[in-house]
Amino acid sequence: MVTLNDYTAIVGEEVVGQLYRLAEALGPRRFIHINSTRSGGGVAEILSRAVPLLNQLGLDTVWEVLQGDPDFFDVTKSFHNALQGQDVRVPQSLLDHYKEINRENARKFTWEADFVLVHDPQPAWLINEMRSQAKHWIWRCHIDVSRPNIKVWKFLQEIVSQYDASVFSMAQFAQNLPHPQYLIRPSIDPLSEKNRDLTPEEIQKVLDRLGIERDKPIILQVSRFDSFKDPLGVIQAFRMVRKHTPCKLVLAGGEATDDPEGPRTLAEVMEAAQGEPDIQVLLLPPDGHHEVNALQRAADIILQKSTREGFGLTVTEAMWKGKPVIGSAVGGIVLQLRDYSTGFLVNSPEGCAFRIRYLLHRPEMAKRMGKLAQEFVRQHFLITRTLRDYLTLLSLLENPGSQLIEL
Amino acid sequence: MKQTEKFDPNLPAKDPFWFRECFLMPMPLGMKAVNLRELLHILREVDESVLYYHLLQSRLTATQPVVEYPNEFALWAATALQDSKLAEKLSSFDPFDYDNMEQVRGAMVDIMEEYLWDLPSVPWARSGFEFHFCEASMVVIRSEIPANTLKDFCQGLGKVGLDSVYYHFFEARRRLGMRQIDDFSYWMEANFGLPELVEAIRDIDGYFYTLREIRDTLLELIHQHLGELCGHTK
Repeated sequence: MVTLNDYTAIVGEEVVGQLYRLAEALGPRRFIHINSTRSGGGVAEILSRAVPLLNQLGLDTVWEVLQGDPDFFDVTKSFHNALQGQDVRVPQSLLDHYKEINRENARKFTWEADFVLVHDPQPAWLINEMRSQAKHWIWRCHIDVSRPNIKVWKFLQEIVSQYDASVFSMAQFAQNLPHPQYLIRPSIDPLSEKNRDLTPEEIQKVLDRLGIERDKPIILQVSRFDSFKDPLGVIQAFRMVRKHTPCKLVLAGGEATDDPEGPRTLAEVMEAAQGEPDIQVLLLPPDGHHEVNALQRAADIILQKSTREGFGLTVTEAMWKGKPVIGSAVGGIVLQLRDYSTGFLVNSPEGCAFRIRYLLHRPEMAKRMGKLAQEFVRQHFLITRTLRDYLTLLSLLENPGSQLIEL
Repeated sequence: MKQTEKFDPNLPAKDPFWFRECFLMPMPLGMKAVNLRELLHILREVDESVLYYHLLQSRLTATQPVVEYPNEFALWAATALQDSKLAEKLSSFDPFDYDNMEQVRGAMVDIMEEYLWDLPSVPWARSGFEFHFCEASMVVIRSEIPANTLKDFCQGLGKVGLDSVYYHFFEARRRLGMRQIDDFSYWMEANFGLPELVEAIRDIDGYFYTLREIRDTLLELIHQHLGELCGHTK
């Protein structure tokens, strides 16, 4: 089992020491997390690591999972899409079903707690049934809600308004709510299979298995094949670079099974890459974390040419591997990349091509940027930061109305 | 070594220095500015805590490793409006030149108003670079690291988190109500005198440094004035 002390070598004693001091000042508390899936997706990924670590810090922390049926997940998927701005209509019968599934789960949850952190809309309704079972209720929204569909948001707003606080990943996601709203950035776990250090042999083994030769510099984009990640724009940029400088492109990611446009995008990518031996398209399984890790570590330059992005944790992962990253100036990528410092922001395939060429011809600059990027992630976007933010949040909620608390 | 060579780094202080650590939690307001006029309008209306966050507290959040612009307004002018002239003006603005946050607000509004006055059109932010207003709440805890002597102090300074440097160097000025005085030099002056070192610390232009650089500069100054106390090397 991974222990908090394992992080000392990565973030330093002072950071781990602070977590213990903050947890001690907070005192023993019962802390419940509720989401709707035990595996798959970023929320489950971070909870599976954070919950044991919170327990090691002395907080009695439990992770509960809401059980639903296919209709329930259809309606919550609609919520998700609507919150991200899609024009979705959810019939009343499905809204009633959403409430009913929450009611059924509430009957099974017999715990009492000091704090409940409810992740995303799926279990949000629980507060209507269980308010008295916990002192403080917090809603944690992991979704980009900068431009939500108004009808669905109004439905959820009524529910969320009953909470004592809500937490968003970016300032632009904050909403009109009658309680304090806080900002907690997403984070990555440096000891997970996707991010842990790999030996050169481990990396080579993956490349051999995937059939990738290291005869030319590797340009990589890791992301699902959907149009928002602009894989065709990446190929366009690569072609511009290749006229001047030899290199190869690897596009790796999973299929966007929940995106109706997904199969079409993948087909277009395959067609665009056809007959190009220097473009490799890799369809990875959802649990291909080890492969992603190895590809990122083998790459010379990593791209994230999205046209829309929430926070962009793939950028964070690439930066953590000490690579120069070129990303589009959208969403959370803007927060992570700064020109000539931690990466490059671009606005077009031409800009992307220009920066790839710049970095290929200036390996020293690429190395320096990668190093700064890794330090930036170490400071701000590792799981230890999330633990610290949780502990701070709980301390603040116990002292409502005060902006400065001395423990 | 500049200061008296007779200074004993193991001399006990009358009052030990307790390093405090602070934990900042940003609180987005759900308000944004897409151009300079909107920014100015909102700046006039929001609480002082919002101004304070974007001028000072934000250095505890996801700041880039190299400080190019010392506050978020200057950074926004440079990266979002891509207006280097305004970025220069806002970078040179130092909140520690004023007695309180109302004066700070007035001075910032003046800069932006005068700048807008001379412009033929209002500068707009690039898409995706809108200014999102925040304030913050803060939890402060007393660490278990007391300094009874200057030697202890140096060792402690190397151990505490960078937020502790922020708390004692920046927050202190607001807390003590004396804009040039930080907790570190205040404690040294009260317990050991050391006028030259105290003055040198108060002369640190911390507004332009990262927290790590401020810590290194403090240790370097102690080293220069009192000799090697805690294995610090430049």
